[in-house]
Amino acid sequence: MTGSTNTPYRPAGTLSISTALQPYEGPWNKRLAAHLLRRAGFGGSPEEIDRVAATSMNAAVDALIHYPKDTGLPGQPSEMDPQYAQEVALAFQARSRAVDDATVQMQRMQIQQSRQKANLSTIGWWLDRMINSPAPLQEKMTLLWHGHFTSAMFQKGITPKEMVDQNWLFRSNALGNVREITHAVSRDPAMLKYLDNARSNKDHPNENYARELMELFTLGIGNYTENDIRESARAFTGYSVYGPLRGGAFYFNPKIHDDGNKAFLNARGPLDGDQVVDCIFRQPAASRWFAQKFLNFFVYNEPEPQLIDAVAEQIKKNDFQIGPVMSILLRSNVFYSDRAYRALVKSPVEFVVGTQKLFGLKEVTPQAIGALNRMGQVPFHPPSVKGWDGGATWLNSQTVLARENFLNFTVTYATQQMKSATMSASAWMPMTPSLSTKDTTLKLVDAILQGDAAPASMAKLQAYLEGNDSSALGQLSGENFEERMRGAAYLSMAMPAYQLN
Amino acid sequence: MKRNRFLLGAVSGLTVAVNADSFFAKALAAPALPGLPGGADDRILVLVNMQGGNDGLNTVVPYGMQQYYRYRPSIGVTPHDVLSLNAQVGLNPEMKSLKAMYDAGSVAIVQGVGYPKPDHSHFRSTEIWQTAEPDHIESTGWLGRYLDSANLPASNLFNAVAIAQVLPEALIARKVDVPEIPALQGYGLASDKAAGQRMAFSSLVSDGRAPFQSPYLATVAEIEDHAQRGSEELPKLIAGYKTDASYPATPIGRSLALAAQIIGSKTQTRVIYVQHGSFDTHAAQKGTQDRLLRELSDGLKAFYDDLAQHGNDKRTLTMTFSEFGRRVAENASRGTDHGEAGPMMLVGGGVKGGLYGEHPSLDDLDNGDIKFTVDFRSVYSTVVEKWFARPSQGIIAGSFPTMPLLA
Repeated sequence: MTGSTNTPYRPAGTLSISTALQPYEGPWNKRLAAHLLRRAGFGGSPEEIDRVAATSMNAAVDALIHYPKDTGLPGQPSEMDPQYAQEVALAFQARSRAVDDATVQMQRMQIQQSRQKANLSTIGWWLDRMINSPAPLQEKMTLLWHGHFTSAMFQKGITPKEMVDQNWLFRSNALGNVREITHAVSRDPAMLKYLDNARSNKDHPNENYARELMELFTLGIGNYTENDIRESARAFTGYSVYGPLRGGAFYFNPKIHDDGNKAFLNARGPLDGDQVVDCIFRQPAASRWFAQKFLNFFVYNEPEPQLIDAVAEQIKKNDFQIGPVMSILLRSNVFYSDRAYRALVKSPVEFVVGTQKLFGLKEVTPQAIGALNRMGQVPFHPPSVKGWDGGATWLNSQTVLARENFLNFTVTYATQQMKSATMSASAWMPMTPSLSTKDTTLKLVDAILQGDAAPASMAKLQAYLEGNDSSALGQLSGENFEERMRGAAYLSMAMPAYQLN
Repeated sequence: MKRNRFLLGAVSGLTVAVNADSFFAKALAAPALPGLPGGADDRILVLVNMQGGNDGLNTVVPYGMQQYYRYRPSIGVTPHDVLSLNAQVGLNPEMKSLKAMYDAGSVAIVQGVGYPKPDHSHFRSTEIWQTAEPDHIESTGWLGRYLDSANLPASNLFNAVAIAQVLPEALIARKVDVPEIPALQGYGLASDKAAGQRMAFSSLVSDGRAPFQSPYLATVAEIEDHAQRGSEELPKLIAGYKTDASYPATPIGRSLALAAQIIGSKTQTRVIYVQHGSFDTHAAQKGTQDRLLRELSDGLKAFYDDLAQHGNDKRTLTMTFSEFGRRVAENASRGTDHGEAGPMMLVGGGVKGGLYGEHPSLDDLDNGDIKFTVDFRSVYSTVVEKWFARPSQGIIAGSFPTMPLLA
């Protein structure tokens, strides 16, 4: 397992395992404050970063972990159509009554329209929380759980409401106990539908949930056998969901549950699904599974086995309670080390939400959702049960162009908002030509990248600001100045550092 | 610096042994096989991934095996509907277009393809098919290794193209970077107005220097540079292409139309990867699988009409694969769970049409799954050696007999 060819995205240098999880006691500054905000949340405006840099690391982490219970944000999508599930059911009924084609066609179109409305409003609802919540870590953990215990809206008949309910399961337990989350997920209607457990019965158990529960959610390949999957599928028979007209809630159906004896991992007896989950969490592989998950998500990719073991030890010690583990991780030496700094690729959601926060753009635009689609990450629509692979897979010609084009849109949009004075948070973007090109360059790179640009790049940016004729900014007309500033802000964000988290 | 994929072994708690420096790296410089017919230099492979695990038993239906109907009382395809290939097997009734191509001799179907100790995980089995390495985690794809060995011009940004949202592992190479172009729309930069900004952009994004270290810095700079230059070049290279072929208005139809356009242009592309699916039919299988098979079959028909119009049908080989077939017995949700072996299809003017390999028995199952009769690496070796005229050594680990699939 050594050798750089097989861990190309593990940071260079050597891990000091004895001190890795010890509290960081080094200097606290703007770069580290921004790092913490990016990882444990979705970044912040330059003013926010300055505020956090002016406190201490411990105070900053405390504020993230002990987040306010009441965020003052809407609990549900404003336009999520509560009639949606019923509409679908009624349309099916109508169809079975053999009404004429035109009526069926019209109903299909109505369903399609209400689906699209509910879709955008549900996605927008969560993005709004990510941008505006005073509890960013809670939203970040919700995103982690959503990409881990995946379900996808509209697939297998999953409604927006079911996805929102599942989303609240994650949000309410954001820093809770992951064994309890797994128990709750095993009774979650969206999940039971997504992985085909809702109709699994003792005569023909469906293995989809049983397999992914171990392969992706808790243990990883190599820690169970095919037979364990078959036995677990038997245990989960009868974990069902009522139809939409009967409320769509979870229920246990003893009639189709296989109550015979099972041999699952090291447990024996007439096990049910909950006993299967408890048995899984007694395996040593479970704490390691979540340790690598957190390290890959919050610290760096391809973490060393010793580091995985050390975090797994903390998870076990805390009996799978995640809050205390995150508290250790976000204060640790390894988290603030050079090896972790900008060592991750921004996910599309981090990229879009972070850019909006940088400019103080509080509203979710349709363009932002479209951009997320082109970048390959739309909340509530993970591409497969594995969620999003992340890391290098975020980056390809298609997604990188979508990122640049979103930045171009945002810069233009933000300057419009600033001109119409609906926005004041972007005070960092110099809007009057009083500064020299050198100072303007410094200010932009400081606000956008916390100074993380090479001298050569700074020189190129300054040359762009000066233009071909070396004219000073002050000599530009108002309109040209504005265009130049927009261009320079865009170019600062086009630097590779901005793609990194 | 080529992109490397996230290694499953590295993130999953190291359960799978990793071969630190495989023999592939050493074998890259092997010369072309002597004595093979020429013309391989303009040959193209289009690989179609039937993603999600296509149910082979309802694609190439063993309607002559009585057991089939016992295992599939509700989703079995009735003998009357099957598009018969012989007295034992026939195609799914939705594949009429492909059947016509089969009758014309341009489709080879390999039955019962799989590998030893089959893995039932989508992700691990996909990885196995894409890397051609069932026994350990390999960081390059089988086509990536072909690309690396083929001495392709380093300046060409389109030696291979993935018509997909993410880079498939099959195309991960050490030397060749493969662009992902799911559609032409969206492949381009919106901000072209100021030339000064454009120049500054291109020099800033490709500058890998920064006052910090990051394992991703070089990768980001390279991809940004390639994306920018590629999106400027490709529209010029494929401009003016016209076709009368009528593609179905489906995702696979659009992908194949783009593939034909790339093949018919000046990009000198060798490999194109197309994504189709999802075939993961755990429940209510029939509607989904039938639709996907029809879309594939009709799409391939239009694709080869288009290629033939431009004289590209003989030099374009299309091959399908899927990470696994599905369980023989249907489940309670009128679907099927993850299984093992399945058929592969090879299409094109260079194919020797017909049925190959033995259809797996339904009386001798491996814990409910059919046993493979042809190792997928035999098919891959055939493509590498007979189509691309390269030695398969260094590309496909181990030694597998080639098959007479090509004319």
